[in-house]
Amino acid sequence: MGRILESLRAQVREVNRRYATPEIAMTPFVKFCLVGLRVYLLMLVTMMVVKFILVARQAL
Amino acid sequence: MKAEIPEIVSPPLVSPSVRDRGMNGLARLFFAFRRSSKALRLFLAIAGPGIIVMVADNDAGGITTYTVTGAQYGMHLLWFLIVLGPVAYFVQEMTVRLGAVTKRGHAEAIFASFGRFWGWFSLLDLVLTDWLTMITEFIGMTAALSIFHVPPVLTVMICWLIMGSMIMTGQYWTWEKITLGFVVLNLIYIPAAFLVHPSVSDVLHNSFIPHFPPGGFTNTLFFLLMANIGTTIAPWMLFFQQSSVVDKGLKEKDINYGKLDTLIGAFLTVVVAVVLIIVAGQLLQGTNVDDAAKAAALLIPQNRFIGTVMAIGLFDAGLLGAVCISLASSWAFGEVFGWAHSLNRKVREAPWFYAYYFFDLLLAGTVVLIPKAPLVLITLFVQVIATTLLPAALVFLILLLNDKKTMGKYTNTRWQNVANITIVVAVIVTSTLYGISAVFPDLFH
Repeated sequence: MGRILESLRAQVREVNRRYATPEIAMTPFVKFCLVGLRVYLLMLVTMMVVKFILVARQAL
Repeated sequence: MKAEIPEIVSPPLVSPSVRDRGMNGLARLFFAFRRSSKALRLFLAIAGPGIIVMVADNDAGGITTYTVTGAQYGMHLLWFLIVLGPVAYFVQEMTVRLGAVTKRGHAEAIFASFGRFWGWFSLLDLVLTDWLTMITEFIGMTAALSIFHVPPVLTVMICWLIMGSMIMTGQYWTWEKITLGFVVLNLIYIPAAFLVHPSVSDVLHNSFIPHFPPGGFTNTLFFLLMANIGTTIAPWMLFFQQSSVVDKGLKEKDINYGKLDTLIGAFLTVVVAVVLIIVAGQLLQGTNVDDAAKAAALLIPQNRFIGTVMAIGLFDAGLLGAVCISLASSWAFGEVFGWAHSLNRKVREAPWFYAYYFFDLLLAGTVVLIPKAPLVLITLFVQVIATTLLPAALVFLILLLNDKKTMGKYTNTRWQNVANITIVVAVIVTSTLYGISAVFPDLFH
């Protein structure tokens, strides 16, 4: 089991190394889209966390 | 001296110019026939990924959505489903071009183009969304066969057997032809639409004249429209079709056939949706129906054939959806981790690819069998989690298709960008609102 996990960790490190540098040209439009996506996801995650807290409060 | 025998030349029965035109006409016809039949054979060889992904899009969740739409609003929303056909085509067509040109699946393309953060986000989100969606497919399949008194345990085992044996052939082509057989079975709904004898004028009016149903634009209508949009474009479809195009070995010169394949698939998906709405609209309008299995159970006393068709179709829809969804994840993992990840490889040649596929299958099927498993909550989670992945996957798709360095002459044209960006923005807005409504239902009352 330990060996499998270590092998998996090694593969993840290899993936991270292989894809360290984005290939796409970072034009202003691309940067705008990626920033927009981050904001959007942050908003969604916040919404889910709020919901989780509300549900947990009700349960307690 | 020998007399010269004059050469006797028979006068032509037809003048030379007319004779040549006749021969050329026949030859032209013959060669046109040969070109067409060659093109048709080539198309039939290339067709597959588009038709499969589009028809599989009418999965258990999709069938339920269309049934509920018909039961609540009759045939008033046929026009909306017809509009969604081209929407699905424009989105999926981009994956054909991207896969054929880059020879990469969508997950690998995201990692390579946008880096580790977005790559891991997309991959892990896809895995979670796909696994939860697989559970809903198994829910649909067990519910469908329970109408025929088949216990859920047996249904799950039958599904494992079918889905497992389908991919063990070691040949992409064989898997594809088997899956196309299930696609044909999915069209079993079509005769039902004729058997309910809908008014042709009503069908035509509701199909081509956009309008709101009686009662106007209500919250309920809004949620149903969003549900229909959500079921038409699912994140796994992007990953599945692109990886399938790559695994099939489609080249740039095959792109036009790939587009035609996708177009036919979009047409079939709309046909099934329309048929289901017509059947539910004619037989179940006003009835409180919230899933397709209940609808089938309600229909059987009214019309045994139609009820049976609904149940079989629901099972087939769930099966098709489950096969494609699990493959989408397996391909994505294989692409990113560099494992052998092709249906053309046997199990011993691509062990991790098949291992993940079976793991996904077994885990999803097992959850459905757990007593008191929170299946309703899982169904809700799918809607919310998909909301996090779909916008990102669509935005990446647009950005990649505009990368001239990668796509060359297959980069999006201006009109493709106008259509696709409009669609992407609309899908993002509606899927976000749908996700929010799922988490905070009171917000919209």
